[in-house]
Formats: sequence, C-alpha cells, structure tokens
Amino acid sequence: MRIKVERRLETPKFIYILIPLASIIASLIFVGILLFLIGVNPIDAYSTMIYRAFGTKFGVTELFVKTAPIILTGLAVSIPLRAGLWNIGAEGQLYMGAFAASFIALYLSPPPVVLPFMVIMAVLAGMMWASIPGVLKAKFELNEIISTLLLNYVAIYWVEYLVYGPMKGKEVYNFPYSDLFSDYAILPRFFGTRFHAGVIVAFILAIAIYILITRTSYGFAVKIVGANPKAAEYAGISRKKIIISTMILGGAIAGFAGMMEVSGLHMRLRAAVSPGYGYTGIPVALLARGNPLFVIMAAFLFGLLYVGGSAMQTTYGIPVAVVDVFQALVVLFIIGGDFFTRYRISFVFREASA
Amino acid sequence: MLESEFIASLIAASMRAGTPLLFATLGEIITERSGVLNLGLEGVMITGAMVGFYFSYVTGNPWIGILAGGFAGLLLAMVHAFFTVTLKVDQAVTGLMLVLFGLGITGFLGRGLVGEVASYLQPVKLPLLSEIPYIGTAVFSHDPLVYIGILIVPLLWFFMNKTRYGMELYAVGENPEAADTVGISVDRIRFIAVLTGGFLVGIAGAHLSLAYAKVWTDGLTAGRGWICLALVIFSGWMPQRAIFGAYLFGGLDVLSFKLQAAGLGVSYHFMRMVPYIFTILVLLFSVIREREKFGAPSALGKPYIREQKY
Repeated sequence: MRIKVERRLETPKFIYILIPLASIIASLIFVGILLFLIGVNPIDAYSTMIYRAFGTKFGVTELFVKTAPIILTGLAVSIPLRAGLWNIGAEGQLYMGAFAASFIALYLSPPPVVLPFMVIMAVLAGMMWASIPGVLKAKFELNEIISTLLLNYVAIYWVEYLVYGPMKGKEVYNFPYSDLFSDYAILPRFFGTRFHAGVIVAFILAIAIYILITRTSYGFAVKIVGANPKAAEYAGISRKKIIISTMILGGAIAGFAGMMEVSGLHMRLRAAVSPGYGYTGIPVALLARGNPLFVIMAAFLFGLLYVGGSAMQTTYGIPVAVVDVFQALVVLFIIGGDFFTRYRISFVFREASA
Repeated sequence: MLESEFIASLIAASMRAGTPLLFATLGEIITERSGVLNLGLEGVMITGAMVGFYFSYVTGNPWIGILAGGFAGLLLAMVHAFFTVTLKVDQAVTGLMLVLFGLGITGFLGRGLVGEVASYLQPVKLPLLSEIPYIGTAVFSHDPLVYIGILIVPLLWFFMNKTRYGMELYAVGENPEAADTVGISVDRIRFIAVLTGGFLVGIAGAHLSLAYAKVWTDGLTAGRGWICLALVIFSGWMPQRAIFGAYLFGGLDVLSFKLQAAGLGVSYHFMRMVPYIFTILVLLFSVIREREKFGAPSALGKPYIREQKY
C-alpha cells in the first residue's frame, strides 16, 4: 500500500473555519491529558480559567491588559511576515523599548512631557534593534530568524544586567527591579483596575496597520515582495527597502509594547518584563494569516490563555509553561490541518503502481 | 606556572562545555544536509536534557539517561519529520513551534526535578596520557561523551564523503528531483536524516544536564540550540569544522565564569550577552566570506513534492 498525495483543485470554504476551531479543541484536549497526568482535573482547571477571565470585572480588564501587548507583538511579527520575513525578535525589541522608556522615566524626566518622550524613545529603541537583522538580511542575506532570536538574548540579558547593576533601585532589597517611576511617567488607568491607556492605543494601532497594509501602495508593495519577489523586482519595487522597512516598523510596534508594559503595568524596569509576549506574536501572526484585524482576535485567545495560565498557577500550582505547550500545539495542528486544504490524501494499493 | 594552570583548566572546560554544542551541531548538519531545516534545535535539546536527567534520576545510571535523552530528541524530530517530510509543511514554522513546545513541556513536566540530584557522567582519566603535566588535565581527563564526540567527527566525515549513503544524503539535499529520478527515495532519506539528527541533539541536551551542568533547571539550554544553528553555517555544513566552532563557543561560555572567578570585576550579567553577540558576528563573517561558494545544501528548507501531471 502506498499513500498518494494529490493537489486539490478546489478547497471547500468551511475547511478554513473548521481547521482553526478543530485545532484549538484538539490542543485543549491534549493539554487536558497533560493536566490529568500531573493529577489536576482538566475540567476544573479550564472552568477556573474561564471564570477568572470572564467572571469578574478584574478578570475582564486583566484580559484586555494581557491581550494588548500580544496584539502589538502579533503585529510586529505579521508586518515583516507579509514580506516573507520572520521577525522572531519581537521579544528583544520589546525589552529594548522597555529599557529606553525606563531610562527616560528614571533619569531624564522633564515631568509634564515625559510620557510622549518615553513613547518616542521606546519606539526608536525598538526600531534600532529591529534594523540590525533587517539590514543584515538586506545586505548580506543573513538568516533573519537566527539573528533576531540571538538579539533577544542580548536584549534580555542587557535589561537583567541593568536591573542587577547600574539601574538597580535603592529600596528593592534583592529583587531585580529599578526604582518606581514618578507619577508623571505612568500611563493613566481606568475603572480602578490595571486597565491602562496603552490598551486603547494597541487597538488603534492594529486598525491603523490594517489600513496601512490594505489601503496604501506601501502595503501593496509589501504584499508583492512577500508573494513574488521576482514580480516585485520587475515592478520596480526595492526588495531591500521593503525588508528593512517592514522589520523597522515591526520593531517600532514591539518597542512601544515595551514602554506600555513598564509604564502601564510594572511602573518600573524589572527583569522578566514580558513572559514571552514576543514569542506569542508568532502563533498570533500565523493564526491571523497576516491580517491585523484577525491579529486582535487571535491575541484575545492567547490573552485568555495568559490570564487563565496565571489563574491555574495560583490555584493548582501548574507552571505557566503550559501556555507555551498550548501555543505550539495550536499552530502545529493548524499547519498540519492546512495540508488538508491544499492536498487530498488517498491510499493507493499495489495494482496502481505506475 | 599559575597561568599555564589557568589555560589548562580553560581548555578542559571549553571541551566539556563545547561537547553539547558539538553533538547538536553535528546532528543539525546531518539534518540540513538532507535538505530539511530544523529550527527546533533549542526545543529538542532541552527536551533531551530534561528526559535524560529524569531517567538518570530514576535509574541511577547516567548512560540510560543519555540514551533516553537521545530517544526523546528522536521522538521530537519525528514530529518534525512527519510535518515537513510527510505533510510537506513549512519547515520554519514547524521548527519554531518545536522550540515553544520543548521549552513549554520541559518547564511543565520538569518542575519536580528542579533541585534534585541525578547521578552524572564521571570523568575518565585516560591511562598514561592523563599523567602528562597540564595537557593531561586539559585534554585527557574528561567524561566519555567528550571522547565519543571527538570520534564521531571523522566517522561522520567519512560517512558523508566516502560512502554511498553519504552521497545519497548529499544528492537529496542538493537536487531532490535528480535523486528521485535515479531511484533514491527522497522522503525516506530525509526522514532518516532528521531522526538521526534529532537523536544527536537529544544526546547533546542530556550531556548538558548529566555532565556539564549536573542539574536540571528551567530553560537550561539558554539559547545553545540557536548558537548551534549558527555554528552549522559557520562550519559550512562540514563536521570537521564544526568541532572548532563548538569548542570555541564552549570556551566563550566558560570564560565569563573563569574571569569572574579570577576576580576581574566583570559583571556576570554583562558577560552573558557576549556569546550571542559573538555568534552574530561569526555568522556575519561566515556569510560574507563564503558568499560566492556558500556551503548550504541547495534544496535546504524546500519541501520536495514530486511533480504531478494531470
């Protein structure tokens, strides 16, 4: 017996909805089995997760607070991805943004105007950090996956170095924290919760990026470079410029995410500014297929996971790492399922040999 | 003679720290030679590290741990092979998800092993050779996997360059259409190459937890998988060059500890950035130098689907 793979000529529409849904359910089942194996009732765990996210005012606002940075990192991955580039470095770009914003907040604050200044510097820092792999890719064809990832480690250790050393706060005992920012350097919060102004900006940015990539000639150029680099060349579009500019745009957004986290949430620079939002941007971008509006939806799914993940940690002592497992599984199931949208599989028995 | 002692201990430590890098780099060279890119090294390696540690912890025999680590690597590689070779899915995406999966599952299941002690690989002093002053402690007093790693290099070179199977591997990675035409099963060779590579990467992880670090911690591999991906490029996909890269980066890894121990007042956190910056520079250097005769297999990263006529 032989397995025969044929290209589908037509794909039924429902498959495009069915596959993501089935993938999410399959991943929930798989993680449920893992939970069961370590002695946690998966149904209890999942209900706790849902209740935490939707059952209280705190939960709902937390969901938004955790979704916002994921929207931003999802965009930071999506934009270069449309040009065929993998920005695995959103995590590092976020850390550099957090560093730049904190530096301004702690040392250079002309009080009333400090917030916009923090935003500008964070965005610049993210852009600068993303421009390194962008330029190396454009000029030397250096693999951007490896370079962006290695730069993540550099950025994370840089922030660790600072909060253990030069920027360590005076009254933080042995914690790797800087001092608290002054009130001027903290984003306004609403409803008496942690819901801060940055969340709203994240949503606006997603819509703005949607318009940029669907309604402008720049967005069109990016799409052509991603879909068909040769055609782009004939159309007179500079592939190098698109490579560098999409990376920088992604870095700018991730850099802002860093500012938002330190100014809106932590109110200081600290080690582990992000629990891996930069990496979560990858499954988000894949689920959203590069569409910024879908990025918002996918980000909510993973935001829910982070809220639920921390609820499961406090209630059952389950490590948050389970979120990573879930993310990986969803994507693997989706791309595995994607195969069935493109190909039809049939089993061929011996007599059919050519 | 204090300086010679320092250098001897630095060489010894470089070889020990370089051995996991060597195994993982060799594993990825085999994988990539077949035309399959496995970006999941970091995830495969850490899974090997945790599973290896667990089995040594339970059985008390580090060799069982090493083998178990290898098989864990093989299992994850099988997922990669199934997705990329059988289903022809995007290799980059699958690899990246293996990283997330490996880091996640080890953080999840390895929680109970943090702080535990497992029996680790004991160093073996080679008779007579280890008696040589300085050189003896630097080169001839290691755990057996260090020597095995050194032995694999010429064997792999011979296999890849002088045997029929090596040639087939080469053909599949360079020109799968042509290989297919002459009757070589592209998918089968790729599958075997990915599994073999995964086995070596798993062993690399197990060496990390059972001979180098001697403990299990969350995120133990700390980016070594990515450094090895860069080392593959640096070595030009040649095993004989991989060993230099691996020991060089092993040395870099331990240098920060040694400098700190020597009381030079260099911040530990600052030194931790150095290997990653250095990796990018080395990568850049390799890419610029070999731009014309770049050693990458031509079909690397491209799924092979036999053309169909309707």
